[in-house]
Amino acid sequence: MHEFLHDPIDVIVSFCQNRVIPKRIRWNERNYEIANVNLVHTAREGKKRILYFSVSDKTNFFKLKLDPEYLEWHLVELYSNG
Amino acid sequence: MHIDMNSYFASVEQQANPFLRGKPIGITGKHKEHSIIATASIEARRKGVKTAMSTYEAKRVCPSIILYPCDPKKYSYITHQFNKIFRAYADCAEQFSIDESFLEITKAATDYFGAVCLAQTIRQRIKEECGEYITCSIGIAQNKLMAKLCSEQVKPNGLTVVQPKNVLSFLDSCQLKDVCGIGHRTEERLNAIGIYTFEQLRKFPLENLTREFKSYGYWLNEASYGRDNSPVVDTIEDPKSIGHSCTLTENTEDEKEMKRCLLELSDRVAWRLRKKGFVARCVRVCIRYFDFTEFVQQRKFIEPTNNGLTLFQTAWQIGNKWRDKAKPVRLLGITASNLTKGKGYQSLFKKERKIRSLQNSLDNLQNRYGSKVWSRASLLYPPNTPSATCS
Repeated sequence: MHEFLHDPIDVIVSFCQNRVIPKRIRWNERNYEIANVNLVHTAREGKKRILYFSVSDKTNFFKLKLDPEYLEWHLVELYSNG
Repeated sequence: MHIDMNSYFASVEQQANPFLRGKPIGITGKHKEHSIIATASIEARRKGVKTAMSTYEAKRVCPSIILYPCDPKKYSYITHQFNKIFRAYADCAEQFSIDESFLEITKAATDYFGAVCLAQTIRQRIKEECGEYITCSIGIAQNKLMAKLCSEQVKPNGLTVVQPKNVLSFLDSCQLKDVCGIGHRTEERLNAIGIYTFEQLRKFPLENLTREFKSYGYWLNEASYGRDNSPVVDTIEDPKSIGHSCTLTENTEDEKEMKRCLLELSDRVAWRLRKKGFVARCVRVCIRYFDFTEFVQQRKFIEPTNNGLTLFQTAWQIGNKWRDKAKPVRLLGITASNLTKGKGYQSLFKKERKIRSLQNSLDNLQNRYGSKVWSRASLLYPPNTPSATCS
């Protein structure tokens, strides 16, 4: 299953060597432990730099969007294995 | 040195999403159906899927293929990252395309052994900074022509070195169309005059070659010896044209739908023209029908423009006049060419000056908040109306 979303989510992160590492997300009243951060990339929206985190747990791939100006997190893509 | 990323868009997606790894995937347009394969993963290639194949055809040859929509911003970012790595090691790096670069390493490497060490270091840095699934094939040779030919030899993750003494024997083991600059048609023309190998090309009199191919004959003769004097340049040249195309979600004969699509494309082209400070003297419209036949027509402007509506009006005028109205349309494309630096002409008329002023304000908004900040009312899709896949 592959979905494109724009759902606000809560994220617990760690800050390590000038990097932000998502550890756990809360979406749809469920917690998901992040097992791997596979790719981090940035993109511009006008003058704003947006960060995207491609992360996964054991069965799901999540693409998270962080707006550093407002510290808002969104789940923008979900891919479930199987 | 030439570095070519392997199955680039697919590798990036497999790096981002581990559930795609080891599976045949095809990167498509924004909408997966009714699109083409921009890149196939190594697994999909092994099953016969090729670049530019329609998704319908790809599914036919590989029913298990996973179609995955492209994410251009992600690919641009990774391209920027690995080119940064290249610039850290090379004397000079030239980005040849989104997934290929030439590196001048004569001073940095000093000899062929040094070049191999440098190649392995770069490969390791890409693995560490971009991800282990993003791999590249590397070619090392005395010039760009040969380095590119080398990098094509072993995929994925290859490293091929051809020293000057081995150039001719290496070329003789390759096919004519393997060399960048010899396409399918040129190969056919060469075959027609009895040339099938580089050895035959070398032996063919230069006089006859130039008679057949004009000045391109000189280049062919040089290529047959593996010679190429073009330098690695780090400067980005001004574009010769700016264009966008759009595959509709369904083949259509609906003029409204086509107009909407063409207007959207025209606005995107015009925005890029203004952003880069260009005006266009010519617009070209391309229409691809359901049967993959194409119609291309262009028109020159009296006054150069960077206005989306002007581009659209001209493109629609020529497109709608000359297209075959009996055939449903699959794809629309618009290209602005004959570009010159400038802001367009200053109109004497108040209404046009007002429109220009409004355009400047919208450009400022777009610069600040991104391209989705405004839209023409006519482009707001009513609910349940299919949009399109644009590139």
